[in-house]
Amino acid sequence: MFDRVLIANRGEIAVRIARTLRGLGITSVAVHTPSDAGARHVLEADVALQVPKYLDIEAIVGAARDSGAQAVHPGYGFLAENGAFARRCAEAGLVFVGPPAEAIDAMGDKIRAKATVSAAGVPVVPGGTEPGLAGWSDFPALIKPSAGGGGKGMVLVRSAAELPDALESARRTATAAFGDGTLLIERYVENPRHIEIQVLADTHGNVVHLGERECSLQRRHQKIIEEAPSPFVSPETRARMGAAAVEAARAVGYVGAGTVEFIVDGTTGAYHFMEMNTRLQVEHPVTELVTGLDLVELQLRVAAGERLPFAQEDVRLDGHAVEARVYAEDPARGFLPSGGRILALREPQDVRVDSGLVEGGVVGSEFDPMLSKVVAWGPDRASALRTLDRALARTAVLGVVTNVPFLRALAAHPAVRAGELDTGLVERALPELVPGVQVPEEVLAAAGLVFHALPRGDDPWEVTDGWRLGERAWTTWRLESRDGVHAVQVRGLPEESAEVRLDGTAVAAHIRLDGAPAGGAELVVTIGGRTERYLWARRSDTLWLGKDGASWSFTRHLIGDPGDRAGAAAAGDGVVRSPMPGTVLVVKAQPGERVSKGQPLVIVEAMKMEHTVTAPCDGVVSELPVQAGRPVDMDAVLAVVTPVAGPTVGAEEA
Amino acid sequence: MSSDWPVLKSAAEPASEAYKSNAELNERLAAELLERLATAALGGPERSRKRHVERGKLLPRDRVDGLLDPGSRFLELSPLAANGLYDDQAPAAGIITGVGRVSGRECVVVANDATVKGGTYYPVTVKKHLRAQEVALHNHLPCVYLVDSGGAFLPRQDEVFPDREHFGRIFYNQATMSARGIPQIAAVLGSCTAGGAYVPAMSDEAVIVRGQGTIFLGGPPLVKAATGEEVTAEELGGGDLHSRVSGVTDHLAEDDAHALAIVRDIVSTLAPRAPRPWETVRPEPPRHDPRDLYGIVPADTRQPYDVREVIARIVDGSRFLEFKAEYGSTLVTGFAHVHGHPVGILANNGILFSESAMKGAHFIELCDQRRIPLVFLQNISGFMVGKAYEAGGIAKHGAKMVTAVSCARVPKFTVVIGGSFGAGNYAMAGRAYSPRFLWMWPNARISVMGGEQAANVLTTVGDADPEAIRAQYEHQGNPYYSTARLWDDGVIDPLDTRTVLGLALSAAANAPLEPAGFGVFRM
Repeated sequence: MFDRVLIANRGEIAVRIARTLRGLGITSVAVHTPSDAGARHVLEADVALQVPKYLDIEAIVGAARDSGAQAVHPGYGFLAENGAFARRCAEAGLVFVGPPAEAIDAMGDKIRAKATVSAAGVPVVPGGTEPGLAGWSDFPALIKPSAGGGGKGMVLVRSAAELPDALESARRTATAAFGDGTLLIERYVENPRHIEIQVLADTHGNVVHLGERECSLQRRHQKIIEEAPSPFVSPETRARMGAAAVEAARAVGYVGAGTVEFIVDGTTGAYHFMEMNTRLQVEHPVTELVTGLDLVELQLRVAAGERLPFAQEDVRLDGHAVEARVYAEDPARGFLPSGGRILALREPQDVRVDSGLVEGGVVGSEFDPMLSKVVAWGPDRASALRTLDRALARTAVLGVVTNVPFLRALAAHPAVRAGELDTGLVERALPELVPGVQVPEEVLAAAGLVFHALPRGDDPWEVTDGWRLGERAWTTWRLESRDGVHAVQVRGLPEESAEVRLDGTAVAAHIRLDGAPAGGAELVVTIGGRTERYLWARRSDTLWLGKDGASWSFTRHLIGDPGDRAGAAAAGDGVVRSPMPGTVLVVKAQPGERVSKGQPLVIVEAMKMEHTVTAPCDGVVSELPVQAGRPVDMDAVLAVVTPVAGPTVGAEEA
Repeated sequence: MSSDWPVLKSAAEPASEAYKSNAELNERLAAELLERLATAALGGPERSRKRHVERGKLLPRDRVDGLLDPGSRFLELSPLAANGLYDDQAPAAGIITGVGRVSGRECVVVANDATVKGGTYYPVTVKKHLRAQEVALHNHLPCVYLVDSGGAFLPRQDEVFPDREHFGRIFYNQATMSARGIPQIAAVLGSCTAGGAYVPAMSDEAVIVRGQGTIFLGGPPLVKAATGEEVTAEELGGGDLHSRVSGVTDHLAEDDAHALAIVRDIVSTLAPRAPRPWETVRPEPPRHDPRDLYGIVPADTRQPYDVREVIARIVDGSRFLEFKAEYGSTLVTGFAHVHGHPVGILANNGILFSESAMKGAHFIELCDQRRIPLVFLQNISGFMVGKAYEAGGIAKHGAKMVTAVSCARVPKFTVVIGGSFGAGNYAMAGRAYSPRFLWMWPNARISVMGGEQAANVLTTVGDADPEAIRAQYEHQGNPYYSTARLWDDGVIDPLDTRTVLGLALSAAANAPLEPAGFGVFRM
């Protein structure tokens, strides 16, 4: 076994690999970019080395050499399925913890992979390759880029008439995205379920499978909730699919942990090989929880040349496991990536959480938006889902908008509970699953009370109870949340006795605020005799409250402040904000310029997506505090357009 | 150590009949006060308020609340001014004044109420404005004027224009206060006509709301009459003109709220406060429940009770270090703290005799030497009369106390908790002795002598109707009659006494003390 292993990754997977290394008494070596120096995977590793970029192969290999590591674990992602990297490691005398470069290459090319496994007797989706795609006649059909993955660039074709245009469009996308315009076409499977088999092979010719995972809950080919075993798979099917997966692995001389993905017809149960992922999968923990195995440990043992310590008949599945992926994204805003500094963090203690989060850490737009995985186990599927829901309810990431409320809604969806899954379910159920941006009244009231619990000194002028000779005065807090500016009125001292007023009705209220002044602790709020608990955190004028997995942020304004100008934050006020954290790509307007509604002002790039921000109304660009190339936070003001009523006013102003 | 000072004991008996009947009456008086305050706080008639709001303007109280820091207290001055005057057409005299916190700094705020006769100045309005400026001057508090006024109330021009303490004094005060380093800030939120134009013009820094605030010496009708020139109010003296052309104002705001935000920013640039002239200690609440005040204070002001029961419900920890407890016992004197501020308390416990007057004079001198503010709890029917007392020189002994009260340089705070009659009013820092603040409880009475004595005296020396005399004294001695005319800074709920004193002490600590002139004369 190795003494020292370099982890060529970041985030939760790097943390998770380090945990196994620690358990095995192996020194872990982390790499990090300059901006990631305080990241959790760095803190949890024994040794950390800085590299310019995570995907810089030479720098990673250099770091491994410098640190004296004997092996490199790539986690998942780009380096894990990169034959060139595997070869480079071998050249440098480093063991690549993964399959042989040839196996990576064989499975990396979708067309070759299908041909190979088909030859080995594994069922594949009927399909065609170049040339001859134009003559395809089995519809509906799916066009895929040969070099692609993760669903990118796929085009669904319903009829022969649509085919020529679809091919052209797909080829353009494939060329742009992968530098290779080669396409393939397949029969489109209706009511499809995504079920994959975990395989494991050693260098001594032993190949086993560890049962399946179902990953049908996806949105735009991004997996959201995965589980093992699949509610759709019987022991007999499992044995057949497992055997097929083992054959597929053997066909390419596979070594290490890999996943064979099948597309399963939810109506007929027919399964077809889709592709093989030659690496550890994000969702591997569900397999670990039902098999009791540590896949990273097994990967390391295999890489060190050891034999698999068990045979196929020794593999037992116990209970049910469900994993939910926590993303820094905002379902209410079309799943745009979010970001920010993590002001307070609560992760459930009694379930498995693979997380890369640390309080004070910054979630930016430069990396994958997946923050953590909450994995629950139960003796049966229903109890696993229940445990998952409770665990998600106890998850709070204040400072960054996450998809946790969406995950809870999805896990509670009747079709999910019933196990009636297919890969289109999430998209169909989206309207029911996406939480609104509207802040519940009691949360708004709680925020007003927290802001009103101002620090008080001994001086009677520092008692902020709004005392008057007559009836005490209400303090109006103008709280800006994602749905606009709200007025919350408070009077009295919230930590002693106060009243809060929303829509004219005054209700008695009291709060207990632990961890003041910055928070990161519990807030207990009693309004009208009803008590709720929140996690709270505050950074200057912005307050975050978290409850039941949901979180809300509020920025306070005093009357007349710039943020309190009539209807700030609402559309139509002329204030243009960044829809997500990212980088300003292009500034398309000039200060003082007359613009019309809908005219592009600024293009913000984040997660390789370009977002064009447009003028909300006709007017003059009165403020434009942005510069191309500069990073911007979510909701940062990009521009202010002063509405112009008539055509003559603008000239007068000049 | 003040924490070792003795704690006053209370003999209050909540179960007693007297307590219950006192409580019933005093609670009723407090409720009446609250109701009067609420009515006055509404301002002008509903249709005026509606029109005001429809113009996009904030009501004056909303302006004050919006200006103040979130949750800030506001020590309003004479909120019941002009109560019962001018056919009750001028609630609060059409102007809101008081002390509140703006950007962390105690300021005097003066806000016109344009819903009351267009914010014009009645005689009491002028008096209230000047009194607010006096509070600012004595306590070195920055002044913020939220201007929305048509100037002098013309039908009463003879009572508001010509005299020393009339309209012109407002601008005199602005100039002289600015000269003393007391900042003068104005926000023009409405009209600022004629003399009123000088409020922003005389300020150190001024804000105006575009399309709403106007400043001119003569309005459009006057201009038309004088020169024939036709001009709109906005052209003549609007925000754009004064911010871009004339330079009368320094900041142009979009609306009321924006103007308030600018004023807050201006206050945040002011020079820091002067150091406090005395040290404060950690405050502690009274040991005895202030709510007992309702049950303790007798319904009839002539009925005696131990004023220490009141002191025990006002001072920190109910701790009171008494001075000369055994001497001149009708005046209780001693040291205490209110909200951490040191105070010397003088409280009547009966009629003033020569001994009590001398004790009072001595104690005032001590406090003045030690830079301890004075609190007078006034419940006095006067000095003792009679041959023996005159022969004993009570006039000169009383004069000693009046001299001490007059000359003390430390701040004085007076609360009339019962009667305020005759020369006792002078010795106990009545309005003429310039206490920094003076308040009355709802049960208080103030007049040159009691109605009963006046009826006796007047029927003895002439042929007055004793009933009519008694009725006149009862009417004019009433605290609401007093507060309407600004003989005081407001009628307060007894339960607010401690808060009011604490706020006033803290505000007073902004002004430095003059050096003491004499040593302590032993009496």
